[in-house]
Amino acid sequence: MLRTQEYFLNFGPQHPSTHGVFQIILTLDGERIVKAEPVCGYLHRGIEKLAESRTYTQVIPYTDRMDYLAAMLQNLGYVQAVEKLMGIEVPERAEYLRIISGELSRLASHLLATGVYALDIGAFTGFLICFRERERVMDLLEELTGSRMTLSYARIGGVADDAPEGWLDKVKQLMDAMPDYIAEYNGLITGNEIFQARTKFVGQLKPETAINYSLSGPVLRASGVNYDLRKVRPYGIYDRFDFEVPLGENGDCFDRFYCRVREMQQSVRIIQQAIEQIKEVGGPVQAKVPKVLKPPKGDVYHEIESAKGIIGYYVVSDGSNKPYRVHVRRPSFINLGYLDEMLRGYLIADVVAILGSIDIVLGEVDC
Amino acid sequence: MFGQGLIKGLQITWKEFWTKKFTVQYPDEQHPVPERFHGRFVLDVDKCIACSLCANACPNKVINLKREKVGKKQFLTEYVMNIQYCMFCGLCVEACNKDALHFSQDFNMNQYFYRDIPLVLVRREAPAEPEEEQAGKTGEKPQRQAKAKKQAEPAAAEAAAGKDPGKEGQ
Ligand code: SF4
Ligand code: SF4
Repeated sequence: MLRTQEYFLNFGPQHPSTHGVFQIILTLDGERIVKAEPVCGYLHRGIEKLAESRTYTQVIPYTDRMDYLAAMLQNLGYVQAVEKLMGIEVPERAEYLRIISGELSRLASHLLATGVYALDIGAFTGFLICFRERERVMDLLEELTGSRMTLSYARIGGVADDAPEGWLDKVKQLMDAMPDYIAEYNGLITGNEIFQARTKFVGQLKPETAINYSLSGPVLRASGVNYDLRKVRPYGIYDRFDFEVPLGENGDCFDRFYCRVREMQQSVRIIQQAIEQIKEVGGPVQAKVPKVLKPPKGDVYHEIESAKGIIGYYVVSDGSNKPYRVHVRRPSFINLGYLDEMLRGYLIADVVAILGSIDIVLGEVDC
Repeated sequence: MFGQGLIKGLQITWKEFWTKKFTVQYPDEQHPVPERFHGRFVLDVDKCIACSLCANACPNKVINLKREKVGKKQFLTEYVMNIQYCMFCGLCVEACNKDALHFSQDFNMNQYFYRDIPLVLVRREAPAEPEEEQAGKTGEKPQRQAKAKKQAEPAAAEAAAGKDPGKEGQ
């Protein structure tokens, strides 16, 4: 093969397809990628350090700011970690509300991932269609929590507020309509031959490699590894719901994309079941917890399945009202670890396709 | 057959072309804002007892309040929120025992100048007070102070009976 002199190309940090402020320094040979060096940190805010000077409750709004596309799941991981440390029992109704809002968050995140991925590949209609439903999901979350993205809805020992009157019916309505919408996305994006040509067998990831690199979420499952924490190690009340874990076969960009679409269907199923079950559950949405939280000395690690993968919170308590240390295992950051090798040998045009299929959010990468 | 997917996509696009519009012409039209919306703050001054619970609950130290002692009660003289640092998380509203602090549905908080950003909810003078009042003697009080005291009375009594509010979130 004819080789030319290698040169560098800066991809980002102001490139819209990097989904935030993310930079990749590409070493190119003609149009082929020889090496890709991800540079992150442009959005670093020091959330882990900030948490050390906040009380346990005050950390919750900061967790929103990591994966702001699925904020409820970020909240949930943190509060469940603290609850584990303190041995707090959460009221039934709060558990259900957490599931519903959490799965709505996952839905919003996957809708964005699906729509934006279509945009990355060049399909503008698909992007707008996905955003229409995402908007409805956001409206529901806004009605429940008061905020659209940074929800801060979970509280240690429950949730902030009960669902407003008629809210559950509205959620049910949207969920009943969702399968039709998802069929629409499949018709518009998944079935599109150009889209398939751009994504099939691009950026393939072997199951062993995915495990070795500790990847998680749809990226891992697209490679055919059946590992979803909601099934493997159910937290909260996930063991009460009947749902499947969508898997891919080839581990390529298309599988990663299509995994998310099918996960949306499963989220819809979970929410429908939760709405059925919550009807019989009344009572408080907040456990009786002391005003000033002082967990016992010790540490705890708790991980949950967030929209991007496994998010884990490591909280160390020194017995005071502020955490001694909080560390977050952020799936977006860890999923990026394999980017360099995944990109090697592909063309510049595939960079966007591959990066988009990993579905990162920079708030979480940089924390 | 190659191209079938494209045709199906186009059909969906055309179908959508005839469906009802989902977008509105902002700012002429607006989607309704839900009741729980986290918008601009409003403070019910009569209910507020200047206990600082809200200020201590805030992760970003957004709330600055000043108080003066008038008689045995705290009198709120200044309540300023530096909402440029606010995350609209609602912890302050939740912390208030007296139901004095609320969110409103107003999301239009942009300003032309930085100096206009802080939200001044209260800024007022404390009522004048004679020396002997503090010692607990009854004497003739100025009219305006009596009025202020009357408003603060039930709330302050409740606070005195309840737990020490200043401890929250320290
Ligand atoms: S909403 Fe949150 S950040 Fe804003 S003032 Fe209240 S507690 Fe502070
Ligand atoms: S917590 Fe309520 S009563 Fe106390 S200072 Fe704040 S607004 Fe006033």
